[in-house]
Amino acid sequence: MKLTTALSASLFAVTAAMIPRAAMADVSPLDLVGPIADYKIYVSENLEVLVTDTKAFTDAVKAGDLEKAKSLFGSTRMSYEAIEPIAELFSDLDGSIDSRADDHEKAEKDPEFTGFHRIEYGLFAENSTKDLAPFADKLMADVTELNKRITDLTLPPEKVVGGAAALMEEVAATKISGEEDRYSHTDLWDFKANFDGSRKIFELVRPLVEKDDSAFVIKVSGNFDKVDKTLAKYKTEQGYELYDKLTDDDRAVLAAAVNTLAEDLSTLRGKLGLN
Amino acid sequence: MTPAPGPSAPLPSSQRLMKLAVAGAALLVVAGGAAFYYASKGTKSANPGESITVTINDSACDPNEITVPAGRSTFRIVNNSNRALEWEILDGVMVLEERENIVPGFTQTMQAKLKAGTYDITCGLLSNPRGTLHVTPSAESEAEAARPALVSFIGPLAEFQVFMVTQANALVKATQALDEAVKAGDLEKARQSYQKARAPYKQIEPMADLFADLHNSINPVADYLEKREDDPGFTGFHRIEYGLYAKNSVDGLAPVSDKLLADVTALKDRIRGLRIPPEQIAKGASRLVGQIADSKVTTGEDHYSQTDLLDFEANVAGVSRMMALLKPVAVQAAPLVVSDIDSRLTDTNSALTALKGADGYPAYDKVDADTRKVLAQKMQSLAEAIGKLNAAVGLE
Repeated sequence: MKLTTALSASLFAVTAAMIPRAAMADVSPLDLVGPIADYKIYVSENLEVLVTDTKAFTDAVKAGDLEKAKSLFGSTRMSYEAIEPIAELFSDLDGSIDSRADDHEKAEKDPEFTGFHRIEYGLFAENSTKDLAPFADKLMADVTELNKRITDLTLPPEKVVGGAAALMEEVAATKISGEEDRYSHTDLWDFKANFDGSRKIFELVRPLVEKDDSAFVIKVSGNFDKVDKTLAKYKTEQGYELYDKLTDDDRAVLAAAVNTLAEDLSTLRGKLGLN
Repeated sequence: MTPAPGPSAPLPSSQRLMKLAVAGAALLVVAGGAAFYYASKGTKSANPGESITVTINDSACDPNEITVPAGRSTFRIVNNSNRALEWEILDGVMVLEERENIVPGFTQTMQAKLKAGTYDITCGLLSNPRGTLHVTPSAESEAEAARPALVSFIGPLAEFQVFMVTQANALVKATQALDEAVKAGDLEKARQSYQKARAPYKQIEPMADLFADLHNSINPVADYLEKREDDPGFTGFHRIEYGLYAKNSVDGLAPVSDKLLADVTALKDRIRGLRIPPEQIAKGASRLVGQIADSKVTTGEDHYSQTDLLDFEANVAGVSRMMALLKPVAVQAAPLVVSDIDSRLTDTNSALTALKGADGYPAYDKVDADTRKVLAQKMQSLAEAIGKLNAAVGLE
């Protein structure tokens, strides 16, 4: 593009010069810039919520308010779970914020076992806020650091697009079994957040795949709707029912939808030229 | 191959086992055979197209040292431990690739496209020692580094879009406050809001001035208008500046701030929908800094408030951001150009900082001709350095 020409031309001409015709069937890498930018904004908004919620949650833990801390645990995790494909890119923080007891040699007693699940263990398994203050401080510091690092991070596009399937695989592997929130049984909160995060990515790139593969888009949307409908049955005023309330039938519906979604969404990277 | 630690060093059990294995093998076969055995167990090299099998035992990876050529590699991860695990390739603390939730006794396959370098691999429990993955340069990876694929600009361009939208939002917010202060007749608040709105505008100026119509109504300077300050085309920032700083009054400014608010809002919307090709970043940055060097340093544009140095500072901050975004993609192809830009940016920033006193920058009409000349030279060198970037990364 000749700069002098563009500058003296009308805005329409400038815009036209900067936007090549999008008639080609193949997705141009530049088509992905907008969706990735929008996703970064989505991630930033979630991080802002996460920092605010974690402050309230850890304050309750430190104040020794067991009931309040318990009631905030499920909701506080949602903004983290929604952006997990990005949040877990930093291995040190992923370990200190969200590792399970199994990841550590001495399980629950391991001094390296910190973060959400360590606090969950105290609140729900030991039914106490005793000795949790240092873990609360550490979690707050880690979440603050995570926010800072992600703000400065250029999101790798293949991680964003691959994240849609990664979230479903995560649900299949850790939520369907009730493994993740084993002390609090607030898995349905995480579940919902993982779905929303996955669907967000799908919706952002949807216009790029819709034209060439409308059947794919319809199928994926249908499965997301099915999950939403099933989860909605367990919605309560504060959030979601505990995981043991989930009926076997609904668990089967969710498991089937999750597996299909994971499989279908795993083709997104290839469809968008990011493999 | 990593040298075995001395006999006095405390060994993790895995290394002790390895030593035993090596020692045992040495008893059975000739020395050459032992070396072969060790090489085939402890480390592993892959040829292109081959997959690498990594077995995770309770306390280590086997092999725990792997070499692959840059490009795409396939790893088969065998979970031989008694816990579910995830396997990760790490660059520092950053996860490059991972395979999660591999159940004991199961094998999963993972593909990774890797650049040349040395990475860590995780091996089960978080406390287990990590293995090492060496990625050696390949003809393909060298070619790609010299001319980055369009797809590698997606991340930086997306981040640039986020940056521009963030600045545009700040611009709209500050202009709103300016408009309110003008309408409330609050001169002091209007001046503060005016300065607050200038900074984000100047940070995104290289892209904002691509929209000729908006540029002409948001930022015209009286010098270029037939009737100067009395010209009906004298609108936007400088018209407001003229009222606030030359006439010390908000009289008659309400319609102007109304229009400015509408214009910056339109700018924000257009920026949101802007599709920027990668070469536009360096091109826009170089052009803007060149304009500052060629004319703005001499003439200034803030004739009534004399706050040009603040404008320059914001311009350079925006350009720094643009360069920081391109750096990771450009640094392999054009290390010299990138470091030249870095040092020119530092020079330019130092020249500006040197002018700053306890109360901030001096009024621009107090900056003498010699100082302006130095500033223009710094800007000129910066513009030239940035001007070399596109060609160096194959974008021209």
